Amino acid sequence: MNLPSKLLAIDTATKSIYLALLIDGKTVDSISQEGESNHSVTIMPLIDQLLIKQQLQLNQIEGILVGIGPGSYTGVRIGVSIAKMIAYLNSIELYSFSSLALLASCSESMNILSSIDARRGNAFLSTYQQTNGILTVVNQDQLTNLETFKAGLSEVHDLITEGMPKIEKLINSNLIYQVADVHALVPNYLQITEAERNKAI
Amino acid sequence: MIVLGIETSCDETSVALVKDGKTVLSNVVLSQIDIHKEYGGVVPEIASREHVKGVTLVFDQAIKKAGLKYSDVDLVAVTEGPGLIGSLLIGVSAAKVIAMNYQIPLIGVHHIAGHIYANNLEREIEFPCLALVVSGGHTELILMKEHFDFQKLGETQDDAVGEAYDKIARVLNLPYPGGPQVDKLSAIGQDRYNFPRPMIDTNDYNFSFSGLKSHVINFHHNMVQRNEEINNADFARSFQEAVTDVLVQKTSKAAKEYQVKQIIVAGGVAANRGLRAKMLERITFVPVYFPSMQFCTDNAAMIAAAGYFKYQKTKLVSDYYLNADSRLKLQ
Repeated sequence: MNLPSKLLAIDTATKSIYLALLIDGKTVDSISQEGESNHSVTIMPLIDQLLIKQQLQLNQIEGILVGIGPGSYTGVRIGVSIAKMIAYLNSIELYSFSSLALLASCSESMNILSSIDARRGNAFLSTYQQTNGILTVVNQDQLTNLETFKAGLSEVHDLITEGMPKIEKLINSNLIYQVADVHALVPNYLQITEAERNKAI
Repeated sequence: MIVLGIETSCDETSVALVKDGKTVLSNVVLSQIDIHKEYGGVVPEIASREHVKGVTLVFDQAIKKAGLKYSDVDLVAVTEGPGLIGSLLIGVSAAKVIAMNYQIPLIGVHHIAGHIYANNLEREIEFPCLALVVSGGHTELILMKEHFDFQKLGETQDDAVGEAYDKIARVLNLPYPGGPQVDKLSAIGQDRYNFPRPMIDTNDYNFSFSGLKSHVINFHHNMVQRNEEINNADFARSFQEAVTDVLVQKTSKAAKEYQVKQIIVAGGVAANRGLRAKMLERITFVPVYFPSMQFCTDNAAMIAAAGYFKYQKTKLVSDYYLNADSRLKLQ
């Protein structure tokens, strides 16, 4: 995929805000900052700092990469809203990626289990195989019981729940997807709301 | 001064462009009402999901309708609270992006200040002014001696008036949103049940609707138990008369005591035809104004107008740390 030169990557699906600035395919700066359910407060000041350090302004960014979950509903909505707005206002390309794939990029192991807590023993999770720094999806993003899923794995996996992601690894692994219609992008929640479930019963 | 307003506090995604706090250039409202109807009320998680889905499209329609470019905008005003936190966050996040992208000052606005300033979109507010704020979340009497100066004279001690309306509508099996349905039905009914007028003669400007609500619900329940025939229109009318008697009486009393030049009614319940008629009929010593129907319900034009006057008065702008506050107090 031919990517624009100046890219901003955003992910807010976990406890940490991840931001990265890429120029000509290289990460020139990145932040992974753990927050206390206050991503909405800190994300724009963090983006501002990141840009100032490179003497860039927001409207000079040429493409946005955004994690669309699965993960914290409120968290992922903040990142997706911001990414959609930046892409829309500047008429630039928007690319989405799985927030679990981003987590997997933290690991150097061969077998990786990415997991984001979904309460009551459940997790948003997926597994990957890594060869020469290239990630391949083995089990797609899903919402399931973590312990049951782990028990079903035949090989030892590196369980990743936090860390310092490397967005370049996702790009090199072809795990980013061009968004055709910026307006239509929504988070990947992986499940309908409780109200919709109760109605269906 | 061109102000871009953003409102996402509940189930409406709205963006507006307003000139000098009074001239509406565009006011786009994406309502989720048909989605929440099926659940008998607003489902917060669904509301948040719909906001993130529609947000950029609403911006695009608003700027195009106004025939402007974002670089023409002088101030970004956004509802910072109160409201549903997940919903508020979408608007606040979007507002910060616009502000940063175009280096425009950003200002957070209280949702109720917005409802009050909806009145300025059609007629300039004159001071001192008394505002009766009535909605699903609020029942307050506010005295304003000048722009962006809010002195709370009284408020509900329990349920908001719109909340009581929705509960009564549910008892009568009326579809959501119930308030307008009760209003519609009461137009063809009679006040036959003589429900209590809570706190009507108390020596303050507070309200209480939870006792009335329970009384009406029990009354209905007992009639059902006794297999008595219930005329829904009469029932709705009796409830509406009780509520509006109290609202009008207290508003009138406050208007006299503080010798205001005008009364403005704000919030979703300001659209209630029974309330509008009774206010105009019983309060003749001072003009009473209501926003037109399109500005009674949640919209971003009112937020832009309030943002304009807040900025004129305080010159204080928010930084990118601006947070949404679901329980924000009006100051």
